[in-house]
Amino acid sequence: MFDAIQFSSFNEFFTMGGYAFNVWSVYFLFGLFLFANLYFPVQKNKRIMKSLKRRILFSEQSKENLLDQPEVDLSVGENQ
Amino acid sequence: MWQWFHKWGSPKWFYDLSGRWLPWLTAALVISLTTAIVWALLFVPPDYQQGYTTRILIVHVAVAGTSLAFFPIMAVAGTITLVWKMKMADMVAKTVAPLGAWFSALTLASGSIWGSVMWGTWWEWDSRLTSMLFQFFLLISVISLRSAFTDTDTAAKACAVLSIVGCVNVVIIKYSVEWWNTLHQPASGLSMSSGSVNGPEFWVPTLIMVVAMYLLLAVHVMVATRNEILQRESRAQWVQDLVKGVSE
Repeated sequence: MFDAIQFSSFNEFFTMGGYAFNVWSVYFLFGLFLFANLYFPVQKNKRIMKSLKRRILFSEQSKENLLDQPEVDLSVGENQ
Repeated sequence: MWQWFHKWGSPKWFYDLSGRWLPWLTAALVISLTTAIVWALLFVPPDYQQGYTTRILIVHVAVAGTSLAFFPIMAVAGTITLVWKMKMADMVAKTVAPLGAWFSALTLASGSIWGSVMWGTWWEWDSRLTSMLFQFFLLISVISLRSAFTDTDTAAKACAVLSIVGCVNVVIIKYSVEWWNTLHQPASGLSMSSGSVNGPEFWVPTLIMVVAMYLLLAVHVMVATRNEILQRESRAQWVQDLVKGVSE
């Protein structure tokens, strides 16, 4: 069950007993698949956090701006 | 039991719990994946008929086996959405579908690359191959069905129904090799003695790869569902506190 390493040289490892194209292209696609499904969601999380942060900061600033100007009649339109 | 069930329905609870589980699951994923890949590429002996193409099958079998889990997961989530209108279940269903499409696509591609040398053909309208292709298209239709609705609840219900119906295809994929005798070989029985057709030198690394693929599923779904929670619950106070906490 626990066999030894099957290759005696790097060249032998790359040729895969004549099936180099097939074996390596599958492992290349597998790597692509792993990368896409692990890296992209993590990147998306960073993007979402960034945009949420910006939105919260913006809404807090606009609230402060309103408080700075008590003369502004906020009820415009309500009585008409 | 019911309390536990309701807890799972709370986005905040899911977010906190998955945050605690993710480091462990990711560590387990890295360990099992590295073990499986190194074992597959360096230690698996050549098969007397297939040579080193068995290394393709370790990826192919693990990915294909895991790809059958997606419709059942989506169907369970869909049932919960339909019966209890739990929004967490729909968020999970939404994040699972694209990953399922990736799994199905990789199954088809790796099988095709293996078949090109071992069967002498890249594609055949064999029952197993065709039903797997159908699963890929079904997952694409679930994804597009969701984006076709602007209303989240309507989209959730429509996708839930399609996911439950789609489970029929999983059964067809599973038994296709026994019901129809076309090209794809039936599952090899596991053998305990090394040197036999499917001895432990082949199935042990495959099993580790299967574990790695389920861990990948868990990690991806948790990260993607957390993203979905942040977007859907962006007005909730706890999300706002969380975002502010991160910036400080």
